[in-house]
Amino acid sequence: MKIVCLIKFIPDVEDFKYDHERNVLIREKMNQILNPEDAVAVAFALNVKKYYPSTTIELVSMGPQSIIPKLEELLRLDLDQATLITDLAFVGSDTYATSRIIAHYLNKHKVDLILTGTHTLDGDTSHVPAQIAQWLGLPHLSNVNSIHMNSIDLGRLELSVDHDQEIMSFAVSTPAVLSLQKEAPYKLPYVRFEDLNKDVSERLKMLSLKDFDLKREDVGFEGSKTKVIKTFAQTLKKQTKIEVTTDEAGIQTVYDYLKDKGFLK
Amino acid sequence: MKKILIYCDTKPEDLSLVGAVELMVDEEVSLTAIGYKEHCPSGNSVYDEILLIDDQKIMAYDTMNLCDLITEVHQKNNYDIILFPSTQLGRILAPRVAIALHVGLVADVTDLHLNHGIIEMIRPAYSGKLLAHIEALGTGPLMMSVRPGVFQPKAVQLKSTNIRELHGYQPKPSQIILLQTRLKPSTEDIRDSKILISGGGGVLEHFDHLEELATLLNAQVSASRRVVDSGLVSRRIQVGQSGKTVSPKLYIALGISGSVQHIEGLKNVETIIAVNTNKNAPICSLATLVVEGDAVDFIDKLSTKIKKIV
Ligand SMILES: Cc1cc2nc3c(=O)[nH]c(=O)nc-3n(C[C@H](O)[C@H](O)[C@H](O)COP(=O)(O)OP(=O)(O)OC[C@H]3O[C@@H](n4cnc5c(N)ncnc54)[C@H](O)[C@@H]3O)c2cc1C
Ligand SMILES: Nc1ncnc2c1ncn2[C@@H]1O[C@H](COP(=O)(O)O)[C@@H](O)[C@H]1O
Repeated sequence: MKIVCLIKFIPDVEDFKYDHERNVLIREKMNQILNPEDAVAVAFALNVKKYYPSTTIELVSMGPQSIIPKLEELLRLDLDQATLITDLAFVGSDTYATSRIIAHYLNKHKVDLILTGTHTLDGDTSHVPAQIAQWLGLPHLSNVNSIHMNSIDLGRLELSVDHDQEIMSFAVSTPAVLSLQKEAPYKLPYVRFEDLNKDVSERLKMLSLKDFDLKREDVGFEGSKTKVIKTFAQTLKKQTKIEVTTDEAGIQTVYDYLKDKGFLK
Repeated sequence: MKKILIYCDTKPEDLSLVGAVELMVDEEVSLTAIGYKEHCPSGNSVYDEILLIDDQKIMAYDTMNLCDLITEVHQKNNYDIILFPSTQLGRILAPRVAIALHVGLVADVTDLHLNHGIIEMIRPAYSGKLLAHIEALGTGPLMMSVRPGVFQPKAVQLKSTNIRELHGYQPKPSQIILLQTRLKPSTEDIRDSKILISGGGGVLEHFDHLEELATLLNAQVSASRRVVDSGLVSRRIQVGQSGKTVSPKLYIALGISGSVQHIEGLKNVETIIAVNTNKNAPICSLATLVVEGDAVDFIDKLSTKIKKIV
């Protein structure tokens, strides 16, 4: 069984600070973290490998070279390979171009299972997995919250999907794209102490535009189907408002307000 | 005249996507709805035409076949705009259709502007401190997803709707089989609540205090993503861009700063009461009543007062 995990490193949102007085983003010291749901997907793949040691796991990520140390950290777990798709030409790719590039790579390999997160914390479009599934002609499910380990060898996976008020169980034939959700009960293990500084560079492969049969105009800004025209900070419509504090008079005001509007009987 | 295709995946009476059309088209429109029977109006409606998908032939969640079907319908009719609701299914179906038609897709549009004939789709970006205006490139159709409840049409005009079942379509054998559906134990939905008591980063570990006030006001409890991310509560009760869009009559925001993404989840809320140690937090400019101070202190004092008087 060959599993590919699609992973993305994102700016740590908790690091984002906004200066409301000056209306600017404070970007200093922004740390890159593995998108939490992608970590859940990698953790699940590692579980499969524990059950079925013949499993191979490859991480695939499209992003800047600055994430190499992060990929190497992951490779010190029991993972077989990491592929970093990286080229300045790819900068500016929207989800159409991104999914096209990644799908081009995956198309050349025999893969049984492609695991992703349901969405990323920064972009939050959840487009990429479904788009890759369409490029490759594979079935896809998202919000997967568990996969039954026993079903894995059968060419047909049984899994549950968290559908708002319901839990739905499905059987899916492989190969397939499955997007895990954060609530799924899989956690990344720690790297073994003796492996902390292990050299894993041999298992890290880097690919750039020339490794793809794609043209310059198929990728990046040119290859995208959407374009950001401008960004701006939201201006909030000011309400005429009452301001109080939590002292006795303030609480009384709130109480009277609730009563007056019929929120309190 | 602009031809619009709308995928229906919510209640038949939900007209959010029709509301979106109003904002981006200033000429006559022909509206076609496509979806399963349970999600489409059953008689005359705002749509000119309704195309019903046969659930015996294609199961919801078989997005490969749904995508093929929608692509085929589009190729026959050449729509100018195709809209999807950002429901769980819409979120995995829309991207497939966008690839099949080789067009761009913008997710979770929260506002729309028609600017000299160009449709600008607006959504939060860069950790949501900013809003991005996005334009689609290429020849179309224009595709986007919109969260239910974000837009409401101003004028609703009933038409004599032509309802048709989609026949003559042969789906491929499905690669996904539904085995079982189970209801989750708790089925309360924050979208149904008239009053929401909502907590954020300012109440984190004291989140359980909110329940007391919620019970007294016959309300439900909701949260910002800050609290959800810290693992204290389930994502089911998250308000905002990656949570739910809510329209309660009263929203009490306790220790919530009011980031763009959070505010995107508040539509047509009549009254906001904001309790915050910082009265300049963005949420306070949206509030009718601002209480400066500690949120837990506020809950305790207000609860005591209500209990004393009741
Ligand atoms: C793609 C994306 C999607 C997102 N989607 C969502 C979403 O759906 N919903 C959402 O909520 N967020 C979302 N976010 C996160 C959002 O940007 C903010 O990080 C989040 O809303 C902050 O939550 P908060 O205001 O509760 O917490 P904080 O930013 O920590 O603010 C805490 C507030 O509480 C006040 N406070 C502190 N102590 C007290 C006290 N003792 N008493 C009273 N007040 C106090 C502070 O003054 C401050 O205003 C998203 C982010 C991204 C990048
Ligand atoms: N640049 C990328 N490289 C690898 N995987 C990605 C990339 N972008 C998105 N993904 C995968 O797609 C999932 C959903 O991302 P998104 O569509 O950006 O919300 C992520 O959880 C990843 O598994």
